[in-house]
Amino acid sequence: MKDLQPKQEKEGSGVVRYWRKHPKSIEKYQFVYRFLPKDDKKKRADFLDNKAILIYCAVILFVTLAFRFIPKFAPGVLGYASNISVSDLLKYTNKKREENGASNLRLNAKLSSAAEKKAQDMFADGYWAHVAPDGKEPWDFIISEGYDYIYAGENLAKNFSTSKEVVEAWFNSPSHKSNLIGKNYDEVGFAVVNGVMDGYETTLVVQMFGRPRQPSMLADTKEEQAVLEKSQIKAVTSVAGATEKTENLNEPPSEEQKDPEENNTVVVATNPQETKVVVDVTKATKTVSLAFGGFVGSLLAVDVLYSRKKGIRKFTGLTLAHIVIIAMVIASIWFILRPGLVV
Amino acid sequence: MLENIKENRIEYFILMVAVIAFIILIYIFRFNKDVLILLSGLGSVLYIFWGIIHHYIRGKLTKNIVYEYSLFGLLSFLLFFVVLSF
Repeated sequence: MKDLQPKQEKEGSGVVRYWRKHPKSIEKYQFVYRFLPKDDKKKRADFLDNKAILIYCAVILFVTLAFRFIPKFAPGVLGYASNISVSDLLKYTNKKREENGASNLRLNAKLSSAAEKKAQDMFADGYWAHVAPDGKEPWDFIISEGYDYIYAGENLAKNFSTSKEVVEAWFNSPSHKSNLIGKNYDEVGFAVVNGVMDGYETTLVVQMFGRPRQPSMLADTKEEQAVLEKSQIKAVTSVAGATEKTENLNEPPSEEQKDPEENNTVVVATNPQETKVVVDVTKATKTVSLAFGGFVGSLLAVDVLYSRKKGIRKFTGLTLAHIVIIAMVIASIWFILRPGLVV
Repeated sequence: MLENIKENRIEYFILMVAVIAFIILIYIFRFNKDVLILLSGLGSVLYIFWGIIHHYIRGKLTKNIVYEYSLFGLLSFLLFFVVLSF
C-alpha cells in the first residue's frame, strides 16, 4: 500500500494535467455538457436530441395514463378543487343577462331544490347528462318539486374552479347561452354539490330556469334571501354510488345527517362552496405540461445563444421555429386553457 | 438569429400567420375541449409538414430532420393533450 500511494498520486496529477491541457476531453463527462450544443458532432444538446424528446413524450403519456387509471383504484384521491357559490353564480348570471338586455332572474326555492335533487341523482347513478339512464328528464325533477311552469330549462357544469368560469363557459356555448340570457325565464335555481364521479372528486353545478304558470307563484325577495342563506349554511349532501367512496370534506356526518331512506352514504360538508382534494388534477396536469414545455423551451433558447456565441453550426431543424411552437403551447396553456365541462 | 430569420423569411412568415391563427382559434373554442384536442392535433401535423417542406425545398431533408419535426410536433400535441384530457 505504501508503495502504491505515491504512484497513484503521480498518475492522478498526470490526469489532471492532461485535462487542463485538453479541456475538450473532459467535457463529455460533465453534466452541464448535456445541456449544451456540440461543435464536433454538429448536434444539439443531449437533452434535446431525438431520443430525449421521445423520452419526454413517453413520460407525458405515462402521466396522462396514470391520471386516468388512479381514480379506478383509489377513488377520490384525484379531483378538481373548486370554490363555487350559489350567490356568485346568481350574480354572474344576472350580470350577463343585464349586458344582453334580459331581466334579472330571482332565486326560487323549488327550482333550487329540483337542481339539488338532479345533482344528487347524477352522483348516485354515475351519469352526467340532461336525461338520466332511467329516462328521467329535467322537467321530472322540476314537476316533482311542485313547480308548475310554462317554460323551463337546465344547464349543467362540472370540474370548474370558480363561479365566474362556470357562467363564462355557459355564455360561450350557444345552447347554454340561449338559456342563460333567455327572456322566457323569470326564475332560477342552483345546486353546487360536491362528490365523487368516475373516481374524481368534483363539483357538479346544476342551473334550472323557469317561468311559473301563475305569476303569483313568482318568488319574492324574502324567498330569494332564504334560498341564499340556506345555500350558505346548509350542508350539501353528496350521494356516492354503491362502488364509490365519498369523502367528508370537513367533519364526519352526525346521525341526524344520515338519510335513513338511502343505502348510500350521505356525506355532509359544512362549507359546500369549497372543494379541497388530495391532488388537484387541473393543477397537476398544467404543472407537468408547463414544466416539460418550459424545460425544452429553455434548452432551445440556450442552444441558440450558445451556438451563436461559440459559432457552432449544426445540421438540425430550425431551432427558432421549435422555440416559437413551444412558446405558443406554453402561452395557450397558461393564459387560455381553463378546466371544466358544460353540457 | 436575424440572419436565420432573413434567410427563411417566407417560411417564418407562414409559421407566424399559422401560430396567430391557431391562438385565435384556441381562444374562440376555449370552452370546447373536443375542438381544442382536434385543433392541437391539426396544428402539430401542420408544423411537421411545415418543417419537412422547408428542408425539402432547401435540399436539406434527412431522416433525422423528419424524426425531429415529428417528435417536436408530437411533444407539442402531448403538452396540450395532458391538460385537455382532464
